[in-house]
Amino acid sequence: MSGIFDTDVENAWCPGCGNFPILDAVKRALERTGTPKHGIVLVSGIGQAAKLPHHVDVNVFNGLHGRALPAALAIRMANPSLTVVVTSGDGDIYGEGGNHFVHNIRRNPDIAVFVHDNQVYGLTKGQPSPTSDPGWAGSLQRGGVIAGPFPPLAVAIALGCGFVARGIASDVDFTADLMFQAIAHKGFALVDILQPCVTFNKKNTYRWYGKMAYKLPADHDASDRKRAFELALEWEERIPVGVLYRREDRPAFEDLHPGVGGPPLHERDTAPEAVRDLLRKRLFTLP
Amino acid sequence: MGVDVNIRVTGGAGQGVHTAGGLLARLAVAAGHHFHATQDYMSRIRGGRNSYAVRIGEVPVRAGRADIDIALVLDPAHLPHFLPSVTPSGIVVCDFPAPSAGSADARVIPAPLKELAVSAGSPILANIAGAGVVAHALGIPAETVDRVLALDFQGDLLEKNRVAARRGAEWARGRVPDSFRLPERAFRERMILSGNEALALGAVAGGCKFAAGYPMTPGSGILLGLSVDGPPLGLVFEQAEDEIAALNMAIGASWAGARAMVATSGGGFALMVEALSLAGMLETPVVIAIGMRPGPATGMPTRTAQEDLAFALSAGHGEFPRLVLSPGSVEEAYSLAHHAMEMSEAYQVPCILLTDQYLADTVVDADPGDFPALPVNRKFVRGGDVPRGANGKYHRYADTESGISPMAVPGEPGITVVSDSDEHTEDGHLTEDHAVRIRMVEKRIRKGEALAAETLPPVFAGPPHAEVALVGFGSTKGAIAEAREILAGEGISAVAVHLRQLEPFPARAVEEILGRCRLAFTVENNRTGQLARWIRAQTGCGVAGTIGRFDGLPFLPADLARRVKERL
Repeated sequence: MSGIFDTDVENAWCPGCGNFPILDAVKRALERTGTPKHGIVLVSGIGQAAKLPHHVDVNVFNGLHGRALPAALAIRMANPSLTVVVTSGDGDIYGEGGNHFVHNIRRNPDIAVFVHDNQVYGLTKGQPSPTSDPGWAGSLQRGGVIAGPFPPLAVAIALGCGFVARGIASDVDFTADLMFQAIAHKGFALVDILQPCVTFNKKNTYRWYGKMAYKLPADHDASDRKRAFELALEWEERIPVGVLYRREDRPAFEDLHPGVGGPPLHERDTAPEAVRDLLRKRLFTLP
Repeated sequence: MGVDVNIRVTGGAGQGVHTAGGLLARLAVAAGHHFHATQDYMSRIRGGRNSYAVRIGEVPVRAGRADIDIALVLDPAHLPHFLPSVTPSGIVVCDFPAPSAGSADARVIPAPLKELAVSAGSPILANIAGAGVVAHALGIPAETVDRVLALDFQGDLLEKNRVAARRGAEWARGRVPDSFRLPERAFRERMILSGNEALALGAVAGGCKFAAGYPMTPGSGILLGLSVDGPPLGLVFEQAEDEIAALNMAIGASWAGARAMVATSGGGFALMVEALSLAGMLETPVVIAIGMRPGPATGMPTRTAQEDLAFALSAGHGEFPRLVLSPGSVEEAYSLAHHAMEMSEAYQVPCILLTDQYLADTVVDADPGDFPALPVNRKFVRGGDVPRGANGKYHRYADTESGISPMAVPGEPGITVVSDSDEHTEDGHLTEDHAVRIRMVEKRIRKGEALAAETLPPVFAGPPHAEVALVGFGSTKGAIAEAREILAGEGISAVAVHLRQLEPFPARAVEEILGRCRLAFTVENNRTGQLARWIRAQTGCGVAGTIGRFDGLPFLPADLARRVKERL
């Protein structure tokens, strides 16, 4: 890696945090796209994962907890020449922002979404997340999680997401390649990344993920939605990583929305003559 | 005011109350007169008891009236409800009333509206046949009715509507008195639009290029206006999955360089509040229109209130400057929406436009001169104008004297734009440095001081040294103005004070006006006197009390004047 995306912002992650290799993978994927810095926007919410954009020298919109997707969608609508990538945590995207996750997959904007999925809330000190394994005991749920886990990949496939993949923080090359493919995909692309939390999750560790994860075979047919759905629900015995599901035939939101396209919104003027034409429509004249 | 005819069209949802009322309003304008129309509707899709009030005058009308001169009752079951409001000399045209107390009343004229409609081609035209009866009572020629109907309908449908109206007028001849005949006046071109439509047009004329929203009465009409009138001028509209998404989307679009807005009601705004604070922190311009309705919670969805003033003034965690404007008329809905777009961008602050169901649904005829195409002054920097910090980078939050930092948009070659909802350094990165925190807080607050220097003063009418000042904000403007005239006519000197801007507050101007009056009352559609509290907090003025109304209905001038007299 050339280091062109490096910043000098102080890092706030724990030593050994899974965010470090994910950051490397993001930079690698962005560099591979060849897009200039000013053409890229990293959007995030709140949490340790959501601090990632500060360590990449591109445009950054670090908004509210759970609300990265609405902002990212609107940035794409305002200026479709920008490459928009969301990078945030499982609590942020699947918990607080669950409604936006569902509806933006339905919309299908051309946004790549990288979810650092460590199955725990790190920054608030160890509460279970939507993807925590049932029975896992954390802060605020000392008796173990009762609710069933949120299956992000299965939900995405069910909603017709055109690019559904799972990465693993410990394999930077592999995950960077998935990220590159997600950015290149036209439409909503999800990469859920298995990420250890070295401080608060003593179950889903580097070692545990290393034992459970297996790469999808080369002959996996990613166009097979039923098979992809089965794979997306695999968790107890072993966990598939790679591109589970992919379809390229679904048009992106920006191509269907009648107002997007043409000049970006900040380039559009408000001509007094056009305003007068509009006002004239409200003029009551007798025919 | 000379001519003053108050018409009420009533019926169930789906009976064409709105269509008949709108037709009568335009007929008045075609006859050279003016009107003020308001709706009173129930939260349902079909049935219920809806009404559309059209008050006609020979000068522009800016408030309603309680007593009815002409009632057009499309559902006879509603007769007992409306009859008590009809003036002794009034007329009630009712579609074949069933035997009831009302039908024995001399004012009631049973009219076979459905039969007339069927003879014109369809029973659904009963409302138009009824409008034809009323048009006859107003002395409006059939030819004028024909011309106005041509604005709405074409072909066979136009012909059927024309026949229905004519059958109504012919039936009325000799049966309906012409005591409310409008004097002949020359026709002048007027704008006809509602408060919601005017607000959306003002925003579009103010350069709004992005709007998002989740439907909620009475804000939905603004969204409709933006989604229809915006796209020809390049506005992009998106229906959001919830209000939280709507405002976060608007902020994202604004950050990317678009003038952006949302519209909602109090409950939807409650969901947006965290994002309001985000706009304060990111210094992202954005306009939020709130159509108030009675609360708490779901309250009365289709009725009016001014209960969210204190909420709009204080909403959002943390401290940041904001602009709160409150249009008092359809004309001001247009001009203040434009102003909101300009000021929000100039000072990089969120702006709230506080309106309510009454103004939202009020339709008037207005002077086209009050709807100018004003300039749109974009403020973002680009190219060689983008300043660079010591490290050669663009600093989105550069600490300037005014507190306003040059705003660039992402995509500008050679720079990156970095923004964070955390406290941040001048280049936008997260910081926990207390000294930087102090500088950034001061920078944001300084913008508010500059914003205050451009505060819109209140609009007032009446003698400078009056017995009583009646102070309101937003939609009460018209009713207060007319109540003042009624009081003046009875020898009570009053000044009407309308606040167009509530934050930053025009403290000195309010102190000056109120200081010259013996007594001051606020006039507010709420129970607790939120404006009175705000005036006391912002000025050294005493406010004697509040004349409140919180039943879900707007103030009416005569009733307001009576209540003022009770307090003197």
